[in-house]
Amino acid sequence: MQGPDIQWYVVLSAILFTTGALGVMLRRSPLIILLSVEIMLNSANLLLIAFSRLHGREDGQVFAISVMAVAASEVVVGLGLIVALGRRNVDLDVDKLRTLRG
Amino acid sequence: MANFLIWVVWVVAAFACLASALAVVTFRNPFYSALSLIGNLASLAVLFLLLSGEFVAAGQVLVYGGAVMVMFLFVIAYLGDRSEDSPWSGGPSWQVVGAVLAGGALLAEVCVVVGLKAGGLLSSTEPVGRSFGSPESIGKLFLTDHLLAFEVTSVVLLVAAVGGVVLGAHARALESDAGA
Amino acid sequence: MNAAAWTCLLLPLAAAAAITLGGTGISRRVAGYLATTAALAAFGAAVVAFVIMLGEDPEARAHTTTSWTWLSAGQYHFGFTLLTDQLSVMMMLIVAGVGSLIVAYSVGYMDGENEERRYFAYISLFIFSMLLLVQSGNLLLLLAGWGMVGLSSYLLIGFHQERPSAIAAAKKAFVMNAFGDATMALSLFLLVQHTGQLDYAGVFANSPQGGTVANLIALGLLGGALAKSAQLPLHTWLPDAMEGPTPVSALIHAATMVTAGVYLIVRCHTLFENAYVIQDLAAGLGAATLLMAGLIALVQVDVKRVIAYSTMSQIGFMFVGAGLGAYPNAMFHLMTHAFFKALLFMAAGLAIHAIAGEQDIRQLAGIGKLMPFTKIIFLVGSLALVGIPPFSGFFSKDSILASALAQGWYGILIFVAGLIGTFLTGIYAFRLYFIVFTGEPSAFAREHFHRHQGKEAPFSMLWPVGALTLLAAFGGLLQFAPEWHPLSTWLDPVAPPLVEPTSAQEWLGSALAILAGVSGMAVSWAIYSAKRARAPKPVRLFEKKFYWDELYDLIWYRPADLVARGLYAIVEKPLILGSLSAVSEGAGLGSRELGRAQNGLVRSYALALASGLAVLTIVFLSAR
Repeated sequence: MQGPDIQWYVVLSAILFTTGALGVMLRRSPLIILLSVEIMLNSANLLLIAFSRLHGREDGQVFAISVMAVAASEVVVGLGLIVALGRRNVDLDVDKLRTLRG
Repeated sequence: MANFLIWVVWVVAAFACLASALAVVTFRNPFYSALSLIGNLASLAVLFLLLSGEFVAAGQVLVYGGAVMVMFLFVIAYLGDRSEDSPWSGGPSWQVVGAVLAGGALLAEVCVVVGLKAGGLLSSTEPVGRSFGSPESIGKLFLTDHLLAFEVTSVVLLVAAVGGVVLGAHARALESDAGA
Repeated sequence: MNAAAWTCLLLPLAAAAAITLGGTGISRRVAGYLATTAALAAFGAAVVAFVIMLGEDPEARAHTTTSWTWLSAGQYHFGFTLLTDQLSVMMMLIVAGVGSLIVAYSVGYMDGENEERRYFAYISLFIFSMLLLVQSGNLLLLLAGWGMVGLSSYLLIGFHQERPSAIAAAKKAFVMNAFGDATMALSLFLLVQHTGQLDYAGVFANSPQGGTVANLIALGLLGGALAKSAQLPLHTWLPDAMEGPTPVSALIHAATMVTAGVYLIVRCHTLFENAYVIQDLAAGLGAATLLMAGLIALVQVDVKRVIAYSTMSQIGFMFVGAGLGAYPNAMFHLMTHAFFKALLFMAAGLAIHAIAGEQDIRQLAGIGKLMPFTKIIFLVGSLALVGIPPFSGFFSKDSILASALAQGWYGILIFVAGLIGTFLTGIYAFRLYFIVFTGEPSAFAREHFHRHQGKEAPFSMLWPVGALTLLAAFGGLLQFAPEWHPLSTWLDPVAPPLVEPTSAQEWLGSALAILAGVSGMAVSWAIYSAKRARAPKPVRLFEKKFYWDELYDLIWYRPADLVARGLYAIVEKPLILGSLSAVSEGAGLGSRELGRAQNGLVRSYALALASGLAVLTIVFLSAR
């Protein structure tokens, strides 16, 4: 193959995953958190496609498509929750949404 | 020459990927964050193309970019301007430090592992034919080897759709109460 | 014979058990009658044993009977053995006889007490313990009886539990006696080590003669005797023991328990003769005690305390007798002392009972006019105490003094001390008599005096006192050393005396003693009765009981208290309490800190997930 080796893709995926994780851990708005989760999912997808290319089998791509479908469903539900919160004029701030503490 | 071009494309796409991911996490306005994510998705699609995943790349742009991000933008528009003044503050004092440490640790671990352990495994790339990553082969796999995954995924989508309707209906019922 | 011995021993125990188990099911009177009957029956059994023994050959009068092997360890075996010989029968008669009279007296004295049943159970227990002590056939059982009389004494001194002074006095008595018990136990250890047994016969035959070990053995036994008999230096508990009811003072702290020390020395005379230094020490301490106690008794104002110091003094006489080797004389004085001292206490008890429990002689002054019977019997007791013929004290005390005369220069010293002691006895005894029983009744006495149905006291209290008066008056006629001495003959096979005073020494001693006693009485009469001379101011030293209590407080209590406080502050509080509370606080702290992880923030949970993932990755990688 031409172009960068798979290691490059692996490292890139790792950096993307870390960025998404930092976003989840450090942002207060649930919308941004949801977007960061999307980044993490996408980094996993990248890794899957890369390894599928390495081994010459499309199973990885099939898996990636399933991941995309699941991510879409998760976004639907998440946004539905955020919309419901927003309708009640609740502050969209995860620090304030803590009634489920242990 | 072709190799060089591929490298250039790769570098540009990777850079765009990283920059947009960083933008998603740092912008205060959620609208800008969502737009940055669209950029991220696009650059990822380019990378998928480089990896001979044409169908997946197309699906990425259509599904993610066309459907998911549109939904996001609708919701953000609906909710109005929810820009945060200080997005990074709040929470316990150790939050920022802990988060950076944990993220850094994960990154370091992956790099170390890939470098030390799996280096040998990643060097030989299989040669693939022209039909690699085509819709036919992916479809064939979905309907033969991964049929269960296919069906279950459709069920998941159905459940999500129902959930979205229920969450939306709840809101509508309240609205009609408030209106009447 | 053995049956009589066992009956005598076990009947009071059965009474104690019956009263205890009967509880509130039996009436208080019934408890008193049970105790009295048991004591009288024990006396009857002792008389039976005595009569049987009279018909036996004098050399073959020692009977031992073992019911079972009590303690068996390796090659050492100690049985539950009773020894019935001349000495023990004499003690059985005294203990059971005087004991039953006093228990009968208590029925009247303690009438109306709420805790009367407890009293009679304890006193029956005491009589059993004392009988066990005198009837035991080996030193181990004697030690058991020794400890049990100490226990009964503690229980009875502290009978009025609601009085803190009574509780303190009981503890003081018990702790001092425990010290004596410890020295006795050490003695027994040495005896077992050197003779391999504790039976009297075996021990006396095989114990070392002379040398350090013999001295240590005798010293340990002497320590126990000093503690139990309240002699110098372990004497401070006896005056405080007067917190107990008067019959208790009469029985335990006059007639029987405090004489157990004398009994011990006489019984183990062989061991003391093997360590004559210690025996001389016993005589010396006895002489010192009799002087000191006599001086203190001169200034006491509590009637029972005066009689208590008098007891201490008279037991000093007995120790002098036993220490000089005049064993039958010491035992004779033990017997007569039991009679007249119990009589004195009980007569004082009659007065105290009639004046609502008051014991101060200034308040009791002049009560003789209101209680003529008591006045007469108190006079008889006091005359016996001073040693005026023909009352009993004369015969017994003078024989001890005569034995002192026969013992060389050390004996002469002791004789002089004894004379001074007799002089002091005359003063303090008649001081008490003149103040309390002659003259006009004080205002207090007049106000609080009450008769019991027209008489001075109920009949149950009067007849025992009358019986003791007769004994105190005529009991001494049993032995008049120069002329007739059946008691010495009786005890000779068991405890042959070391010294036999000549007739001349006897008459000289008696004459001087009577002179000393009468001059004491005259001094007392001059000051307190005819008021011809003014009473001297009480000497502070005597009032403060020669500062013995303060000395013991300084050398025993304060250092112990300091050490205890120091250990508490340094060791107990920080280490032991601290570690316990540290454990609990640590648990609390740990859980509080862990609880901070449950703060409800999504971001913290996400951080936890990410950190966990990072750690697990390392773990899995290193495991491979």
